[in-house]
Amino acid sequence: MREGSHNYLSARKGLWSWLATTDHKRIGILYAIACGTFFLLGGILATFVRTELGTPGETILDQDGYNQIFTLHGVVMVFLVIIPAIPGILGNFVLPIQIGAKDVAFPRLNLASWYLFMAGALMAVFGWLFVGKVDTGWTFYTPYSSGASNAVLWLTSAVFVAGFASIFTGLNFIVTVHKMRAPGMTWNRLPLFVWAIYATGIVQVLATPVIGITMVLLFLEKLMQIGIFDPALGGDPVLFQHFFWFYSHPAVYIMILPAMGIISDLMGTFSRQQVSGYTFIALSSVAIAFLGFLVWGHHMFVAGQSALSSIIFSMLTFLIGIPTGIKVFNWVATMYKGSVWLRTPMIYALMFLFLFTIGGLTGIMVGVLAVDVHLHDTYFIVAHFHYVMMGGALIGLIGGLHYWWPKMTGRMYNETAGVIAAVLVFIGFNLTFLPQFILGSRGMPRRYHDYTELLPSFPEFAPLNMASTIGSYILGVGLLMILVYALYSLFKGPKAPANPWGACTLEWTHTGPLPDEHNFHETPLVTRGPYDFHLADDVFGPKEEN
Amino acid sequence: MAQGQHHIIPTRTLAAVFGLLLFLTVVTVITARIDLGVINIPLALAIAGSKAILVAWIFMALKYDNKVNLLVLALGFVFAVVFLALTLADTELRGNIGITEPGTTELTVEPVESE
Amino acid sequence: MSSTGTTLKHYFVNHEQQFDAAKLGMWLFLVTEILLFSGMFVAYAVYRSWHPEVFTYASELLDWRLGALNTVVLLASSFTVALSIHFVQKGENDKVVVLLLLTLACAAIFMVVKYIEYEGKFSHGVFPGAGFEPHGIVDGKDYSKYDIPFAPQFFSIYFVMTGIHGIHVLVGMGLFGWLITRVARGHFSPQWYTPVELTGLYWHLVDIIWIFLFPLLYLI
Repeated sequence: MREGSHNYLSARKGLWSWLATTDHKRIGILYAIACGTFFLLGGILATFVRTELGTPGETILDQDGYNQIFTLHGVVMVFLVIIPAIPGILGNFVLPIQIGAKDVAFPRLNLASWYLFMAGALMAVFGWLFVGKVDTGWTFYTPYSSGASNAVLWLTSAVFVAGFASIFTGLNFIVTVHKMRAPGMTWNRLPLFVWAIYATGIVQVLATPVIGITMVLLFLEKLMQIGIFDPALGGDPVLFQHFFWFYSHPAVYIMILPAMGIISDLMGTFSRQQVSGYTFIALSSVAIAFLGFLVWGHHMFVAGQSALSSIIFSMLTFLIGIPTGIKVFNWVATMYKGSVWLRTPMIYALMFLFLFTIGGLTGIMVGVLAVDVHLHDTYFIVAHFHYVMMGGALIGLIGGLHYWWPKMTGRMYNETAGVIAAVLVFIGFNLTFLPQFILGSRGMPRRYHDYTELLPSFPEFAPLNMASTIGSYILGVGLLMILVYALYSLFKGPKAPANPWGACTLEWTHTGPLPDEHNFHETPLVTRGPYDFHLADDVFGPKEEN
Repeated sequence: MAQGQHHIIPTRTLAAVFGLLLFLTVVTVITARIDLGVINIPLALAIAGSKAILVAWIFMALKYDNKVNLLVLALGFVFAVVFLALTLADTELRGNIGITEPGTTELTVEPVESE
Repeated sequence: MSSTGTTLKHYFVNHEQQFDAAKLGMWLFLVTEILLFSGMFVAYAVYRSWHPEVFTYASELLDWRLGALNTVVLLASSFTVALSIHFVQKGENDKVVVLLLLTLACAAIFMVVKYIEYEGKFSHGVFPGAGFEPHGIVDGKDYSKYDIPFAPQFFSIYFVMTGIHGIHVLVGMGLFGWLITRVARGHFSPQWYTPVELTGLYWHLVDIIWIFLFPLLYLI
């Protein structure tokens, strides 16, 4: 009844039908292409960084080149990959279908967001290629940034513009969830992915404007020396850090919350069981969104902020562990007595559980005032936030992409290849970043291109760095393997059934193998929750073993 | 159609609010030009806050509107205050690590004059 | 376009849903505006509390009479916008056009006053940032006596805050110009007037920001 001819891919043809589309699913694909490209770029830069550090001495980069490369790696990965990727790709593609809507509330604004995002990216690239290299790190701390190359102006403008894309995406999703739900889709029937994207939207709307004004003030500081942030002019550089982290710490939750939403859906589907503590997981997303605004000062324990605010921020930081712990325990409980089906997406979900827990717990460690003084600006921090950002956010994204791949492309990927790649990613990731915890705790500083002078005191730095570099290559191979079998699947993969995982949310139960242009033939009437698997087998047949 | 049912705010209400806003403007100018010591700033902010609430409540029709919109506005305001308060928690006490009782620590540090 | 206004977008169920969605979206946007300005208010608060005497002293150079005039002008424009929504709901579009024209005129007066203020400052070397070099005597005030440490911070914050606020006023003027042509062409009706409503909300927020800027910069 819903064969090929009317799906969202075949309904319109030609490049223009993509560039001018207001279909949330196609915009999701546009984000996928863009973010995928930037991820490849950021990944290549990362291997440069690791290759430089693999052996002592200058390997392939001098110190300026190294500073520029890690800066670009950070900016690309943070602003062009992790922040936009999950809401942009999966939020766009999945969220409206999951709540039974025909589109987001503002489809044209949705497309405009993508163009703003691309404009920001192009500004960054243009500035980099034609104006100058930036070596401030992705944090743009003053006074260095306000005195550095004019390319900083381009990069800050790029962040400003891309920020608006993020704001409008979040705004769109909030309104969509509030106003566009299908009949019967009550708040406690929303899939947990929707809850997570909703909470993310709150953070995007409330936090992102502040990075906007921060970038404007930094821009003016550099252009006109307005003296707000530059100490030579009577400004306060620590104030810049307040401004920067008021956005950039909540931005961490913009990155991780959507991944948590994916994991919740994966846990339910692949354990074939009602997600344990549904209400708690849903509300803990909102709690994380709000608490995330109260902890930014933990980036500034050694920056010279007042002792009282350090204490306050440290205590508030521990609070974040509560809603996060609620989620982790509920995910584990979801698997308990479920029939766990170890497909590639579920392997990534388990990987997330392992890696994110390490990332989260080390986060609590560095939130302790005395410990942070020792670990600040060491490789321990680098390892910590890679466990959260990559081991959490990106592993969640990759798991989600595997899960929704059949719905997005109408084709299956090779399961064996998927498992092998997942194992490579897991081994590679841990080999890369576990040694960095040890390196950092021994005092290896971050953002240095060489550690030769430290070797007499710390001979273990050489083998640990070598191990980390080898790990990064294995990780790279695993990720490239995903790219290869994904592309193969795109052209040669077997056709996917409408619901290959036997999932219970609307995008699987109420659309064909590929969704229609307007998602549904008729608006679904929702009569049950998102994880009612005891009914699923009766209504939709048993899951397919393929 | 549905939109026809929206509350129409009477012109008299709007005019009254406008009059009140003008009155408060006069009050804030007059009070600011008299030296009231420490009260000057809180008073000016209180008057500005009242004016803002009047505009939001009547002109922006929050009184008659879906309360979700009020919640959204309140959230924005609350987080602006969070931003202000936690930043001031640093800047007001910068360099002052003498929050221990005198005599409980060897360390004595003079508050550093910020520059 | 029909007299009942725009057609219902296919992804909405009814006009009420479409109107509510647009309005919630606008409120969320206004919140982003509040947070955008909050950064500048924080900068103001921090520097004011560090250098209260400098801020009090430097604010003498701003003419409170012009600030008060602009406050009255903006309040009046908010009033006319609120009235225009009253009349568009009643379908009296002639009055809507007049009221929106009045709003536009108020906004223009605001910008002219702002121009006079900026021009007065620039011509005596009061620039934001590195160009700050006050000189000359106006109304018995010797500007060169204001060349003291942290006075540049006050004027940087003044120019950035009022500058970004001014940009918002200009955007609002553009929106009102566009609305007036649409009202005149009969695009709006009591059944559909979403753009008027949303622009009105935007304009009130611009007014609210100024309500805070006026006492903070000119009075205290």
